Amino acid sequence: MPTPASTQQNLSGKDKIERFKQLFADAPEVGRKALENVLHEIAQDATETPPPPIESAGRIGVRLGKVSELTIIVPLVAGGAKRLRAFLRLLGGNLARGDQVGTLHNMRFVFFDNDTRLLFATTYDGDWDAYIDDFVTKIPDYLDLIDSAWDGWPGIRSPKAKDYLAAHQISAEGWYVAHPDLTVAETARLKRIGKAVDKFLDEIG
Amino acid sequence: MSSVKETVGGDLSKDAPPMLELDEIQAVILRQRPAPYFGTHVLLRVDDARAGREFLRRISPHVDSAAGWWKPADAWLSVGISHAGLEAIGLPKESLQSFPETFRVGMAARARELRDDGVNAPKNWEKPFGTAEVHIGVSAFSDSADKWRRAMSIARAAYEGFSGVKVLRTQDFGAQPGDRNSLGYKDGIDQPAVEGSGFALPPAWGRPIKAGEFILGYPGEAGVPLPMPQPDVLGRNGTFVGFRKYQSRVGAFNRFLHANGGTEAERELVAAKLVGRWRSGAPLTLAPEVDDPKLGADPQRNNAFDYSKDSRGRQAPLGCHIRRMNPRDTPLNHLTDVNIHRVIRRGSTYGPPYDPNDLSEKADEVSRGAIFLFISAKAMATMEFLQQEWIDEGDFIGANGEKDPIIGRQEEGATFTIPKDPVRRRIRGIETFNVLRGGEYFFMPSMSALKWLGNLGG
Amino acid sequence: MATPTSAMSRPQAERVMEQKLRKVQEIFADGPEIGRLALEKGTAAFKQELAAAMGQTGATQQTTAGRIGARQGSVSELTIIVPLVAGGAKRTRALLELLEGNFQGADAVGTVHDMRFVFLDNDTKLLFATAYDGEWDAYIDDFATKIPNTMDIVFCNAVGWPGIRSPAIKDWIVKHQIPAAAWYVANPNLTVSKARRLERVGTAVEELLDKIG
Repeated sequence: MPTPASTQQNLSGKDKIERFKQLFADAPEVGRKALENVLHEIAQDATETPPPPIESAGRIGVRLGKVSELTIIVPLVAGGAKRLRAFLRLLGGNLARGDQVGTLHNMRFVFFDNDTRLLFATTYDGDWDAYIDDFVTKIPDYLDLIDSAWDGWPGIRSPKAKDYLAAHQISAEGWYVAHPDLTVAETARLKRIGKAVDKFLDEIG
Repeated sequence: MSSVKETVGGDLSKDAPPMLELDEIQAVILRQRPAPYFGTHVLLRVDDARAGREFLRRISPHVDSAAGWWKPADAWLSVGISHAGLEAIGLPKESLQSFPETFRVGMAARARELRDDGVNAPKNWEKPFGTAEVHIGVSAFSDSADKWRRAMSIARAAYEGFSGVKVLRTQDFGAQPGDRNSLGYKDGIDQPAVEGSGFALPPAWGRPIKAGEFILGYPGEAGVPLPMPQPDVLGRNGTFVGFRKYQSRVGAFNRFLHANGGTEAERELVAAKLVGRWRSGAPLTLAPEVDDPKLGADPQRNNAFDYSKDSRGRQAPLGCHIRRMNPRDTPLNHLTDVNIHRVIRRGSTYGPPYDPNDLSEKADEVSRGAIFLFISAKAMATMEFLQQEWIDEGDFIGANGEKDPIIGRQEEGATFTIPKDPVRRRIRGIETFNVLRGGEYFFMPSMSALKWLGNLGG
Repeated sequence: MATPTSAMSRPQAERVMEQKLRKVQEIFADGPEIGRLALEKGTAAFKQELAAAMGQTGATQQTTAGRIGARQGSVSELTIIVPLVAGGAKRTRALLELLEGNFQGADAVGTVHDMRFVFLDNDTKLLFATAYDGEWDAYIDDFATKIPNTMDIVFCNAVGWPGIRSPAIKDWIVKHQIPAAAWYVANPNLTVSKARRLERVGTAVEELLDKIG
């Protein structure tokens, strides 16, 4: 799988335009028209400093600044979707355990292909591998409960658990984050400061 | 004196008989570093598989086991083998492939995961580090110069004088006067307590951690043994070691203290805030304002504390070195089980002693610093976690954007924050005080495994 | 409609919670052992979440983003899986590489927290998943008005893409969107622009503290 290339970083604006044109020679009409519309924008962008490149998040997945993505697609066992939906509904779709983890920005469970497959996608801080062992000792039952619906899941305590996750994960090839340096912990800290500043302004106002 | 009672206190607990096969486990894994200490690290390359195995057969009888590790001993030798080394002595392919991938590729190839970049990048390492030539590491530890020399002559008899095994590097090390390291601190105080090791360390050291986190073949904290290399005789009672050599930039460190402290008292306080202990070893948590050298020197007391009364780092800054290396009961921002991220550290100081009055740039270039053996049944994963989460970043503990002040690789204009009332003190321009000069991942086999390896190929 | 659980007294809410928990236990009774055991062991811990889910702790509740998609507080999710035309994956991939996998153009939209592009099923499909502020309709409108060309360049490779400015675009997106069954957000009331303000305030405070420290 091609990783986000840093090979293209040194292309001049002109080269980039040429590459785009080649790419889109056999694209559908609507794409070619759009390309014409942005050619001058691309030329402009090339003179500015390029945005920071996306990097690997470790074993798999990609990362921008401090914020990484995890995108997993698993086949579900028979009856798995029903059980998992019921459990998620019980929690009102709200998984406050995420707060305890402390590195999760967001997380979604999406059933598709007639409930035969699940998309599990998160936005989180740091590297892929870092805290999985901690989940094993701190929240193993929570994970096994959710993952018991996943076909072939060996159990979170199994040495094969990480391999299973990596085997079902697909690295994103495009990844955008509005605030790549704003971790969950830093956000909490800034929120506290923000409150204190508002209070301070009230008092001196 | 080298018995554990003198160095760390604690006591031979009758109701905790050793659950580990101590006579299979290499001594260095459990035996504490003595005070004073003398020793040598030797790095070898195996050029001929048969010669390599012959070397192992010669040295195995002299490698000390951990039997009675809490008692005084003369000297102890240890042997570790890298993946390249296992290959060089002819370990069969299936066995090689049963080792974790992180170990197989070697420490230099894990530079991204270890955050070994900039000045710490493998391309800047001293040779032979970072090449595939580092095959076997032999270390000798002792509490006396004579015993050390005798142990070294035994070791030399095993590897010198026959072709097929080449000495790449030799590094002597030893305790500095008063047992200080290259930046002037008493070090090596905090160690994890290993459950079932037959000797109960003082309770204030923290609850004993399941042996399987440090030695292969026993249950770890999750209740199951960690993955073990195969066959069983090779993996059981063995462990992994991360070997890392740092050079201390003494001039830069002294300049930093002088830039941020006008009097000696102020400088010593800054030095204490960086580490979390005064240079005497006294922890800030127990001596928050004034040094207490007697406390620093007392193994029964100098590690007996927690952070329950200092969650905001007013005594020991949240980002200080010892708090990062062992957060204890600090509330962390990321869901963490601190007990699965501990390592046994055998640190060794090498080179000329620390000089508090040398502020020159020349002092940065002297070959002087610390060599560490980081020991854990999953040393590679743990070291990579520590580097990523606790050393190269501060998000986990509320020191956001800052790195470990002692072993972090600092960027230009980096800061170090000392929480304080009413306003925190943020020091700018902290530099890299310990530069990584090289390292490697080793496997430290059991006694039986060493014999088995020596007899490979019949 | 029955009393919302957030309005119930604590004992009342707990009774409802027990009922719901029993129902889930029944459903897991005929599932794999690993799930049943985990449910047993984890029940005490789940009660914390149950309390939050029942509106007893002031946590946000999962709602809808409007026409389709889930939402927590101000933050919504959009997840679409689209089939790609022949050669489409190759072009889209090369395009993403040229952009270095980065979409600074989304800054112009101002309401996008994150977005990812993932190729699925042997490059026959493209997954686009995003977290954004506010309502679904407004989000699609924003993309159409602020970065229409980027959208067209990327999605022209999807089968039947009508063009971001086409009147058929919203129906097309709905056809390919799958709402999340569960959606968690760490800071559900923190929009992209509020976060930007927070960062500025944070920087200003650090500068102030440096000066008076």
